[in-house]
Amino acid sequence: MNFGKQFKEGLITNNPVLVQVLGMCSTMAITTSFMNGLGMGVAVLIILTASNVVISAIRKIVPDKIRIAMFIVVIAGFVTCVDLLLQAFVPAVAASLGVFIPLIVVNCIILGRAESFCYKNGVGASFVDGICQGIGYTAVLMVMCIIRELLGAGTFGAGLLGPDAKGIQIIPAQFPAGMLTLPVGGFLVLACLIAAMQWALARPKNKEESK
Amino acid sequence: MSKEVKTKEKVNMDPKYITTLTVTLLVTCVIVAAALGLVNKVTAGPIAAANLEKTNAALASVFQEASAPEFPEMEVTEEMAAAAGSFSTTVQNVYEAQDGGQLIGHAVKIVASGSQGSIEMVVGIDAEGTVTGVSIVDNAETSGIGSRVMENENGVLDQFAGKSAADGTLTVGSNVDAISGATVSSKGVTAGVNGALAVAGVIG
Repeated sequence: MNFGKQFKEGLITNNPVLVQVLGMCSTMAITTSFMNGLGMGVAVLIILTASNVVISAIRKIVPDKIRIAMFIVVIAGFVTCVDLLLQAFVPAVAASLGVFIPLIVVNCIILGRAESFCYKNGVGASFVDGICQGIGYTAVLMVMCIIRELLGAGTFGAGLLGPDAKGIQIIPAQFPAGMLTLPVGGFLVLACLIAAMQWALARPKNKEESK
Repeated sequence: MSKEVKTKEKVNMDPKYITTLTVTLLVTCVIVAAALGLVNKVTAGPIAAANLEKTNAALASVFQEASAPEFPEMEVTEEMAAAAGSFSTTVQNVYEAQDGGQLIGHAVKIVASGSQGSIEMVVGIDAEGTVTGVSIVDNAETSGIGSRVMENENGVLDQFAGKSAADGTLTVGSNVDAISGATVSSKGVTAGVNGALAVAGVIG
């Protein structure tokens, strides 16, 4: 088990969103304010880690033919738990994320990691993988939220201090491009981030080639 | 994944194997369902309390003048449902509004469709059939566009106060002002108020 390597993979070289290009729907849909991104990221992190651990623990007794069905049942169980807990104890976050919490069931990051990692690796490694991939996902969401909220609404940290709290106005209200808080803005920001990531990852290779 | 490539693989019909698959899946489902039952037991109370609090806050906000407001729930009759349905809205609950035991009007919790999903709102209507206020309980409108209607920008929700069935059907553009760019959300709220007035008309 190599925590450092797995952490680097989750956050950068094998980032679930920017490199594996998984979980696009939620990434674009909910990254409109800081609190949304944080709430969704942490929810996915918890569900991913929990389902990773359980799936890798039962991987030897799961018949190959029905493994996807088993994975989905386990994942759906955890998602429903988190959904109920959010509604009960953090209703503000549950309200602003709405249907995207139940939709984590079909978030391909979780099934993708179950199939490509946990089914082949031990419980410890899967636990670390869940945390690292979850942090990678959360980090991308936060970056997208900050960019979209700042350029789209001109604020920072809306909803951070309370359910209806306004963010700090950084750009005067008449300048921001409201388009960025719409789905089209999500595509644009995500495309720019993926492009930047690919450029950054390809850079050392290009340098070597040019030598 | 490599095992899955052979699509023409012969299906294993061995009853023992099939039983194993079924039992494994069944046991997993039972375990997960049991775990969910436990979680539900813990969370059911707080969730109901949170929802009740939200509804109560909305009810109180549409009858602000009442000093000792109480909102006993009424039965939703088929006529009420039909009245709301004629404006493509769904009536969820109807409450009597009482102030110190005195009936001062009714509150209708109604669901109208917005641009991104349903808008759940409470409309207060006094004994004369005049709207006392509109409060949004839940919505999924686009942040920054439809949400401006939900947040009562430019008093777009306040304009309904004082309207009554005597004003005829409320229509965006003629006797209701919309928020520019958020016409669908404005129309949704307007439909909700129309529905609530129709329901109050049924009550009498």
